[in-house]
Amino acid sequence: MEIAVEKTGDVAVVEIPVEELDASNAGELKRDIAPVIEANKKVVLDLSRLRFVDSSGLGALLSCLRQLTGRGGDLRLSGMSKPVRALFELVRMHRIFDIYPTKEEAIKAFTG
Amino acid sequence: MSDPVSTFQASILQHAKYSLGKEWGDLSGEDRFAAVALAVRDLFMDRMLETEGRYRQNDPKRLYYLSIEFLMGQSLGNNLVNLGMRDLCSQALRNLGSDIEEIEASEPDAALGNGGLGRLAACYLDSLATLGMPGYGYGINYEYGLFKQEIDDGYQREKPDNWLAQSSPWQIVRGDEACMVPVYGRVEHSVDRKGGYNPMWMDWKVLVGIPYDMPIVGYDGRTVNYLRLYSARSSHDFDMGIFNDGDYIKAVSQKISSETISMVLYPSDAVVAGHELRLVQEYFLVACAVRDIVRRFEQNHADFHEFPSKVAIQLNDTHPSLTVAELMRILVDEKEVEWEDAWTITQATLGYTNHTLLPEALERWPIPLFEYVLPRHLEIIREINRRFMDKVAATYPGDTGKLTRMSLFEETAPPQIRMANLAIVGSHSVNGVAKIHTELVETSLVPDFYRLWPERFNNKTNGITQRRWLLKANPALAGLITGAIGDGWITDLDRLRELEPRAADAGFQAEFRGIKRANKEKLAKVIRELTGVKANPDSQFDVQIKRIHAYKRQLLNVLHIIHKYLSLTEDGHEPVSPRTYVFAGKAAPGYWVAKQIIKLIHNVGSVVNSDKRANGWMKVVFIPDYRVSLAEQIIPAADLSEQISTAGKEASGTGNMKFALNGALTIGTLDGANIEIREEVGAENIFIFGLKADEVRSMREQRAYRPGKVCDEDARVRRVTDIFKTNLFSPREPDLFAWIYKTLLDENDEYVHLADLPAYLDTQDTAGKAFGDPAAWSRMAILNVARIGKFSSDRAVREYARDIWDLKSV
Repeated sequence: MEIAVEKTGDVAVVEIPVEELDASNAGELKRDIAPVIEANKKVVLDLSRLRFVDSSGLGALLSCLRQLTGRGGDLRLSGMSKPVRALFELVRMHRIFDIYPTKEEAIKAFTG
Repeated sequence: MSDPVSTFQASILQHAKYSLGKEWGDLSGEDRFAAVALAVRDLFMDRMLETEGRYRQNDPKRLYYLSIEFLMGQSLGNNLVNLGMRDLCSQALRNLGSDIEEIEASEPDAALGNGGLGRLAACYLDSLATLGMPGYGYGINYEYGLFKQEIDDGYQREKPDNWLAQSSPWQIVRGDEACMVPVYGRVEHSVDRKGGYNPMWMDWKVLVGIPYDMPIVGYDGRTVNYLRLYSARSSHDFDMGIFNDGDYIKAVSQKISSETISMVLYPSDAVVAGHELRLVQEYFLVACAVRDIVRRFEQNHADFHEFPSKVAIQLNDTHPSLTVAELMRILVDEKEVEWEDAWTITQATLGYTNHTLLPEALERWPIPLFEYVLPRHLEIIREINRRFMDKVAATYPGDTGKLTRMSLFEETAPPQIRMANLAIVGSHSVNGVAKIHTELVETSLVPDFYRLWPERFNNKTNGITQRRWLLKANPALAGLITGAIGDGWITDLDRLRELEPRAADAGFQAEFRGIKRANKEKLAKVIRELTGVKANPDSQFDVQIKRIHAYKRQLLNVLHIIHKYLSLTEDGHEPVSPRTYVFAGKAAPGYWVAKQIIKLIHNVGSVVNSDKRANGWMKVVFIPDYRVSLAEQIIPAADLSEQISTAGKEASGTGNMKFALNGALTIGTLDGANIEIREEVGAENIFIFGLKADEVRSMREQRAYRPGKVCDEDARVRRVTDIFKTNLFSPREPDLFAWIYKTLLDENDEYVHLADLPAYLDTQDTAGKAFGDPAAWSRMAILNVARIGKFSSDRAVREYARDIWDLKSV
């Protein structure tokens, strides 16, 4: 998975480059995002391309969050489509993650 | 081409050409039906959009009727009748060289149900639309409906009914309103960002529910609601992960297993506990429906405290009772409503209809299976139960028996969830479906709940729609009635009372008899085609059509037939009138006794029908593949309606109402709605016999049933039962029916056949003699029609709307 990282100050913004995050690519995401998580404490994952996420995909996102918080960092999510948001709510993950409408707002929440 | 007939004709041809890609002359019967149906569909699509616009403008409270079954039957004829277009369509088809009845007959029945419960749901949808009420059905779009029944040497054989093989022209797919349904997995106990407890549902699989809407046209076409049926699809055409691993077969089979959820209707109305697929089906229906209902609510409302003022959900039996847990889950987990508030909202929204007193039909789910399929819902049910048990303990200190009986969990091995208890606890209304049934629910089935919440319990006697069961099924009788009293009865069945003065009118009686005779001729033709038996239309048509079940006692009916046969052939006693005994009904594939009864009816039929001594007096026929469209042909031709269940077993019955509406007299026990039919039509116009429910119960409790004594005291009974010690009815399969002798003489016979047999035989004689006096019989039959108004589904739906749903016409 080609992960593009954009830095705004000390915040790393990563765009999830797929429309579907599921069992077929969740492992790949975990592997490819690992260096970003190791190198940064403040990370925004922009999900605006994402249209579907299954439990493996959610598991990968949860793993990112836990790695970051375990090291004193934090993860914020942005740009969630309605169906993806609905899935987060369905399984109560919306209460675990900090979710913002846009990546700008997510960055601002870190910096402001 | 501007008159309505020509316009409609053009529309049919247009659909033949552009929807089906053929010229009219090249279409098969099924394709011709599809072309006509599509042309009819065009006519009510505008009305459907207008209806939704009206609702949107008024933002009324809406009713959602959740049912695992909807027995819709055929729709073309019904839609044409409700649109007032049948004559026009008939003319257009004549112009095209086709016959409307042939086209209507080409429509496959939508057999998405087993029997009464599903047909009731279909009748209620018709009434909701006719009454202009915003009410919708929610169900499953089974690809295979109830099996087709074939008869092979008297034995039932089941064949799949792929009713959607050619896709239904009535269904409108709503892909944009598909919903995701998670299932399986585990719950991970974590904390949220604020440090609060946050159970998360992990490792689930996801199903996708695709809604297919079937428009429901109310009478006069002003309101067109819909029945929303969900098909299950996998979230992806393939699980690409598996596909990429190279396991193509596994990828395909996973897709198939997702789609299996809506593949087939469970054929049995008895035991399904332990069937994982059935549990997933029930959850799939509930999850899709509740998600859709919440979505529609949120289009105009943000505050979930308003939910019960905009939404009523009726649970048609316990199959959708997971709604209690699912609505709680959505409110608490997704919408972040506090538990207490969510519980108030859930109870205020839900109503539960109980349909059965048979203990084996009360759903229970083993907890290990439930936890495997729905881990989060189990937690929610546990919390509901914990709070409820606290309340029971506080109300009845020290009464551990009550706690045990009322708990949502049954401490069996493995422990089980009692779905009826869940539905009762989670609803503001619990209703039975006939007066006696509701009384038995209150006093025998769940007396503890009734004592705790008497205000929740109420009766809603079932009803049937007169549009399908008289106006459409029996157009000649409908015409006679309309000629006599006008057409007000079509939407106000109580108006049939105006026929009473005509009951003794010789001219009216003659017309009434003429119509019955013509209907019997038509049915005799059907019987000849389907069974080869030649039925005499002048004989008394004695009809028992319904699910084959021990409690419905088709066996009792057969015992009477055998008695008459032996009286005729051994004693030389000729009956007052010749009689044709008509049976139809399906047996659950795994229900051995019911399948044996079908075989017995066939074997008795082949002996009686081939015995010259009985020729002219008796015929016994079993019409195969009973379904709604067949019922529409049989009921208008019936003289005598057999409603002979063991008292206390039948919740209501609705066949009894359909027969009376079509001028058949009932022979029946004081069970279900028979009791109320007697109240309405008068005891002198119905043939009632047998033990009452309390008598059956006390006989059972006191272990006082002595079938041997009945045999000793009544030679008729002795002779009939002894016949099963011989092979008269099973010459090629010796001892085939020996079990029946044992059953009948068994003091533990749950259905106490012999206790009621002497009275049944006597009452049958009375009914036979009464039929011998055509004027008196016709008077009684007309009075049955005139006094059956109470049993309209319009009345039932109005009562639900007033007492439970707070639903108004819009």
